[in-house]
Amino acid sequence: MKVRLNSAVKILGLAAAMAFAGAASAQSAGQWTVKFGVDKLTPKVESDNFSAPALPSSKADIGSNTQPVLIFDYGMTDNVSAELAVGTPYKHKIYGAGAIAGVGQLGSVKALPPTAFLQYRFFQPTAQVRPFVGLGATFAYFMKETGSGRLTTLTNPGGGSPTTFSLENKLAYSLQAGVAVNLNQRWLADVAFVKTKLSTTAHFSTGQFQHLKLDPEAIMVTVGYKF
Amino acid sequence: MRHTNFALALLTAAALTACGGSSPTGGDQTLKTKFSAQVSFGDSLSDIGTYAVGIVKASGGGQYNINGDNTAKNTVLTGKNWTELLAAQFGLPAPCPAQTGLEGDPSKGMSVPITNHPGCYNYAQGGSRVTNPIGPGNKATGSPLGQMTVPVVTQVASHLAVSGGKFKGDELVTVLAGGNDVLMQLGQLSAEATAAGKAEGDKVGAQTFAISLATQLAAGATNPMTAFQAITVAIATESARPGRTDQSVVQAAVTAAATQPGNMAVASPAVYGPMVVKAQADATAAGTAAGAKAGADYAAANGPKLVAALGTAGAELAALVKTQIVGKGANFVVVNNVPDVANTPSGKAQSAAAQELIKAMVNAFNTQLKNGLGDDPRILYVDLFSVSHDQAINPAPYGLTNVTTPACGPNVLGTSSLVCNASNVIAGDVSHYMFADDVHPTPFEYSLVARYVATQMMIKGWL
Repeated sequence: MKVRLNSAVKILGLAAAMAFAGAASAQSAGQWTVKFGVDKLTPKVESDNFSAPALPSSKADIGSNTQPVLIFDYGMTDNVSAELAVGTPYKHKIYGAGAIAGVGQLGSVKALPPTAFLQYRFFQPTAQVRPFVGLGATFAYFMKETGSGRLTTLTNPGGGSPTTFSLENKLAYSLQAGVAVNLNQRWLADVAFVKTKLSTTAHFSTGQFQHLKLDPEAIMVTVGYKF
Repeated sequence: MRHTNFALALLTAAALTACGGSSPTGGDQTLKTKFSAQVSFGDSLSDIGTYAVGIVKASGGGQYNINGDNTAKNTVLTGKNWTELLAAQFGLPAPCPAQTGLEGDPSKGMSVPITNHPGCYNYAQGGSRVTNPIGPGNKATGSPLGQMTVPVVTQVASHLAVSGGKFKGDELVTVLAGGNDVLMQLGQLSAEATAAGKAEGDKVGAQTFAISLATQLAAGATNPMTAFQAITVAIATESARPGRTDQSVVQAAVTAAATQPGNMAVASPAVYGPMVVKAQADATAAGTAAGAKAGADYAAANGPKLVAALGTAGAELAALVKTQIVGKGANFVVVNNVPDVANTPSGKAQSAAAQELIKAMVNAFNTQLKNGLGDDPRILYVDLFSVSHDQAINPAPYGLTNVTTPACGPNVLGTSSLVCNASNVIAGDVSHYMFADDVHPTPFEYSLVARYVATQMMIKGWL
């Protein structure tokens, strides 16, 4: 993980150095671009209460995570492009909140949110700076939901079986705004902000459940190569 | 091209990660602190079988709970107390009572020799108070059950006596007491107030009877005033005579009345009979009212003393924890305050004034306890009062279906949960009731207590 991030930073640095080297060029109709970078995914959690039996206002919070991201981009016209963003699974830590704030980490979950965007890019393909907006469809695939001694203590103390939970996989939509900077004819740097409207439900082995509005915000910083 | 290969490799890696065992797991169940043992002091709320002997054991009881493993019937009917649940969760051996026995009526199977059990560190006993050795169910109260009710101060001393005078430091120590100080003091006040009320009621009733009867009997006389005086003197004289009866008093009054000029007719039972009935009704009404007022006045006058006594008990428990538990080396001490006794079925059966008094007593105890304990990293003060109060008024989030009706039906001890089990609970699904009897929790409520205590331990940073 650390190694990958470092290499991503190096590529970014290299790309920045190259920015002064060549003339700005296109991302135009029929052109493929592959971008690689990092994506920091921060859920903006609004959790419902743990269902009974629980201390009233027992809520959850979920931490952010940063992972490498790989984006395939195809220019359908000079201004409309389609993107597919994929990456390694995000590992999010889950904490107690509300009435149980302070109990610490209760578990973790890995999430794979592949997202397909349809984008509109402003200005001409030759412009050095091209802002863009996008509308996307995200499939949030949750896996490796992992509990803890604390989660068991909280939900089933002395019951003899560790508490497990699973999150419902969900299809959600995403809104995107970003800016691409053409560094030279082949290389570009790209920053994008993505807001995803995502709600899911956690189901616990104790029969309890909890609705979670995750609404994650993503900041993607990538460098791309146009083919 | 190299970039494309790298990208594809990354994509493949992601896909592989996704496929590599994605099902939910319980994760690492290790908790932050590995306790070496659990030591519990307190009363019936922590007692796991001090009295599970004799008739109690034979009747399928032993804990103040719905006894026995009835998880086949409903998964929450574990028969377990919160101290057992916590011990299990912390990977400790099942706790066992440090002492067993009963000192009650041998003819009822309530006399069983007291036995101490080395290696068992749950000292909590049903009926125990903070420092006073006589709690509810103790033989000194006249109870045939004969609970030992060893007070917490002695429980702690007993533990220190078998552990070299100190705690090792890595034990989990739980303390929960004070409820019996409330119940016992309240019971005494109630008895005294009733006695005071009865005395005043009897006195006022007798006076009212004499005046009512004399007034009625004198009404037909030529001179009612003279007649009234003569009759009241006769009633007073006869009432003072040893061996008098209600009938003899009435007869003396009637005789005195009939000898008054113009009043012979009252000698007939048909005439004076209804007068006696009316006089009795007047006496009952006046006596009841006066008795109730006198009882209430007595309770009101003496209530503040009880509140003060509970404050003292709370301070005593705090001092005990500080000097004899933490002061002797314990580093993980959970001290629960007294739950909301006023909102138990027992409390709710009391008058509004008594409920206010209970609230004030519990509050005095808890305030002194909290203040006495202060802020100490080795002491976790758990506000069981607030959570039990919230449960009583807001049961749904806790999963409680009934917070007013005891789950236990009649049994060999009356309705005490000490011998309550699946065979003598009331009809219907009582699994998620809050109360087993008029003050004690069901296994489900005990599990909520365990969760709450454990949650506070996590927030304290112990787990």
